[in-house]
Amino acid sequence: MNEKELIALLKQKDRAAFKDIVETWQDMVYNTALGILQNEEDAEDTAQEVFIQVFESISSFKEDSKLSTWIYRITVSKSLDHIRKKKRKKRFAFIQSLYGGNDEKMIEPPDFFHPGISIENKENAVALFKAIEKLSSNQKSAFVLNKIEGLSYLEIGEIMELSDSAVDALLQRARKNLKVSLKDYYKLLGC
Amino acid sequence: MQENINKKIEDAMHSIDGIEKSSPSPFFFTRLEARMQKEKNIWETLTSFITKPVIAFACICLVIMINAFVIFSSSNTDSTVTQQTNQLATVDEYSQLSATLYEFENTKP
Repeated sequence: MNEKELIALLKQKDRAAFKDIVETWQDMVYNTALGILQNEEDAEDTAQEVFIQVFESISSFKEDSKLSTWIYRITVSKSLDHIRKKKRKKRFAFIQSLYGGNDEKMIEPPDFFHPGISIENKENAVALFKAIEKLSSNQKSAFVLNKIEGLSYLEIGEIMELSDSAVDALLQRARKNLKVSLKDYYKLLGC
Repeated sequence: MQENINKKIEDAMHSIDGIEKSSPSPFFFTRLEARMQKEKNIWETLTSFITKPVIAFACICLVIMINAFVIFSSSNTDSTVTQQTNQLATVDEYSQLSATLYEFENTKP
């Protein structure tokens, strides 16, 4: 079954077509969300939200771009939304703790170990993921799509609705900022 | 030391080269379907509750009662105001008349 037929069936809310789409794209969606969110539970939760959105708004998909580009776009925006929601919750909990309303101690999340990284690179990857977390939303998305998903500048541009040169500039800035963060991290460790 | 840090930074920057793609835990589609069903159920329960004849009839009655109350209370207020205005007008008229008569009758002390 080709993509057009699949989309036509999904527009008719066909369960088999939806299952087909989920099984084809679930790894891509989960992997991208995991790279951005750095938490397996949050990534699974976001991946589910992405497919619910795909199912509900397939009728608004105009087929100007590839289905994968559209799904990537939803994934990135849902993942960034999730980060914003988490930050808002953290801020609210902090304010509550100031007024004595929340006695629970705020627990720092543990270091993130990406399951796809080899054991010998784990320590360095932990430092890199900590630095990725500090990047701005756009730089983080572009870096994850390029380095973790292995997408080309052209594909990233289509997803983020940017030109090739803008993606290139974004990635250069991301790399520069990562190096600054890593330098601070290693200095703090006393290397 | 600077060289050591630079080397560490380069190593970290290349640590995700050749990263393997991770997958969600098995039965992802089953969990997704269960979640969609659950969300659908919440809306279904809500709509089926609202559209129950008893609930719908009770809501309509409540709206009619509120409307009736507002209409009657405003008409009562209107009649009271009219009555009070009439009374005031009469009092004014009589007081003016009596004052005039008094003035006529008692022109000299």
